[in-house]
Amino acid sequence: MNFEFTETENAFINSIHEVIMPFTEELDLESSNPQQAEKTLRSLLPRLAEISYLNPFAGGDALSAVAMETLAAHSQSVFLSVETSTRLFGGVVNAWGNEKQKKRWLTPLVQGKIIGALALSEETLNIENDPLKTTGRENDDRILVTGDKSYVVNGPIADWIAVAGTFEDKVAFFMIRKGSRGLVTGKRLETLGYEGAVISPLRLMDCRISEDTVIGPFQEKGILNQLRLWENRMIIGAGLGMMKSSYETAKEYAKTHTSGGKPIIAYQEVGFKLAEMLTLYQTSQLLAYRAIWEAGKNPKTAESLMLCAKVFCTESAEKIASDALKILAGKGFCTGNPAERAYRCAKYTQIAGTSTEISRVKIGDEALGY
Amino acid sequence: MDFEFTKAQLMFKKEVLRFAKREILPRVREYDSKEAFDIESFRKLGEFGILGLHFPEEYGGEGADVVTTVLAGEALGEAGIDGGLTLSYGAHSFLCADTIFSHGTEAQKKKYIPKLVRGEWVGCMGLTEPEAGSDVAAMKTRAEKKEGAYVLNGNKMFITNGPVADVAVIYAKTEPDRHHAGISTFIVEKGTKGFSAGPPLKKMGVRTSPTSELIFQDCIIPEDNRLGNEGDGFLMAMQTVEWDRSALLAPFVGSATYLLKKCAKYARGREQFGRPIGKFQAIKHKLADIRIFSEAARSLVYRIAWCKDQGRPLNHLEAAVAKLFIGDWSLPVMNDAMVLHGGYGYCHEFDVERIFRDSRLAPIGGGTSDIQKMIISKLI
Repeated sequence: MNFEFTETENAFINSIHEVIMPFTEELDLESSNPQQAEKTLRSLLPRLAEISYLNPFAGGDALSAVAMETLAAHSQSVFLSVETSTRLFGGVVNAWGNEKQKKRWLTPLVQGKIIGALALSEETLNIENDPLKTTGRENDDRILVTGDKSYVVNGPIADWIAVAGTFEDKVAFFMIRKGSRGLVTGKRLETLGYEGAVISPLRLMDCRISEDTVIGPFQEKGILNQLRLWENRMIIGAGLGMMKSSYETAKEYAKTHTSGGKPIIAYQEVGFKLAEMLTLYQTSQLLAYRAIWEAGKNPKTAESLMLCAKVFCTESAEKIASDALKILAGKGFCTGNPAERAYRCAKYTQIAGTSTEISRVKIGDEALGY
Repeated sequence: MDFEFTKAQLMFKKEVLRFAKREILPRVREYDSKEAFDIESFRKLGEFGILGLHFPEEYGGEGADVVTTVLAGEALGEAGIDGGLTLSYGAHSFLCADTIFSHGTEAQKKKYIPKLVRGEWVGCMGLTEPEAGSDVAAMKTRAEKKEGAYVLNGNKMFITNGPVADVAVIYAKTEPDRHHAGISTFIVEKGTKGFSAGPPLKKMGVRTSPTSELIFQDCIIPEDNRLGNEGDGFLMAMQTVEWDRSALLAPFVGSATYLLKKCAKYARGREQFGRPIGKFQAIKHKLADIRIFSEAARSLVYRIAWCKDQGRPLNHLEAAVAKLFIGDWSLPVMNDAMVLHGGYGYCHEFDVERIFRDSRLAPIGGGTSDIQKMIISKLI
């Protein structure tokens, strides 16, 4: 047992701050301009590569959780884009790609040279109950991919998209290059939060790819579970980042803003609220670190613990953001401050991955032995 | 970071679980109904080694680390042992015995620790007074030095194990004009002239743990029974907070695990509308919330235990966070568990209502939730 990080680990966390700081100071990381978002990513990714942030694909330990928390606290949108590219797209290649495929996509990805996306959700959104409708079929020596994908993060800006679908009645990933014929990127979605992330639906109409750009097919049903686990891990990181940024902003404000001749933190209404926020934040941190650590060691048994962390962190994130917003008062209600942004983004984290409702059903099923 | 328990720690936890289910659990309901202290179960805890888990072997203890000690507390809760017995154990082993062990002279340690560890003697601690709760420095109990002895006068309130204790660690003012620095600590034995306990208080929960007032009327305590130096009392009381926020909270965490299993079993067996109620999503949600609480709470207590094992001074902020979370967030969970059981949950035989009552102490005892918020807001 050990509840501390080593000096090297702390140095790594610091280096994330150092890399992202100039970006937050000079650019609008939440800009809803997709060109701007792409430009930011293309210059940030190589810098993150230098500090090995893009490395630990399968990595699941407490350090990776703090790393995510750190980046997400600076920018939710950038975090979502980087993680989708690295941990989801990269995760697919790393876990299931053959050596040649790894060389082809993983090498440039780790160097921050390409942006990836993962197209998973379909119209019904529930991949557990409804089989994937996107399919590939052989045609001469090529494979034709057809289907509709919703809510693809990085969809319009990714160099490569890993499209989850069925091939020969098994699960496979079709690796589609940007601009491929038959790939239609839908209208960029306007969302409640994450304005700086570029999200869109995709349509594949007999999109022709060669056989060596198919990862799989695999019989194993566990693949979709693994993807959900990675998504949930990313979302837990997002939640932690929201708590960090909104709590710290509110704390800073409460200490410096005065009312009636004293800082507002001296009033119990404010001080106690911050105490409740910090309690949820610290409890979330420990639960998340342990769940992610467990998932790195024992992905199978960690499934329900990860769901516990997912539910707790994402609901705490909304609560903390909401309280922070109140402490910031008028300032909090104005668009652009971390609390207001986190408040909007928090809803996404409760919906995306395994939704909090489905998570609870699954946790309950495990307790019941169903 | 690493959250792994050692094999030995986990094995010990299992043993405690087995022991508690076999030896103690069958007696819990009866004693809760009687609102009586179960000295036999208490002594069994002593025989098994739980009362003196963390004390060195030369004093009759097991020499266990803090994490193992906390695991034992969690195991008692997980076995379904009532919050009364675990509270009596906590007050005895940590608030009383550990204070003597940490600050006592060799002679004091030799005299009291082995007897306390065996459960031969029951210990208690008196800090709170009728008019001095969270505001410790407001205490009025006075220890006046006279001819090489101290004369104690005053009342202590809400003292766990008060009516049954053989030995009490008592905080009193040796210098009434000084605030915290005027508090000193004394060991008072049952039967000392001028020392008596009031009748047991009737309580909502933790009923097998007897609580009472302690009354001191010209009670003469020899100087040899002073613990540490004059004026050190407040610091000693603060040191017990580490145990209070780890070993004493752990049974609440364990209780949630116990409830989760109990609720799941009930939900599988109880049929309504032609199917087990466990098949309804709303029931699953309740079960999930119980699990989420216990998982979230668990890491908080082990963080404090681990830090203590490393010999670090207590991080008061982390301690308050643990207390606040477990105190406030256990309540909705216990409520869910009761509602899930419907009418049965409201009845004594199903144990759920007992755990519900016992858990209400969590946001009150050892510093209310509001006091934790006060501490946290001052530290940030």
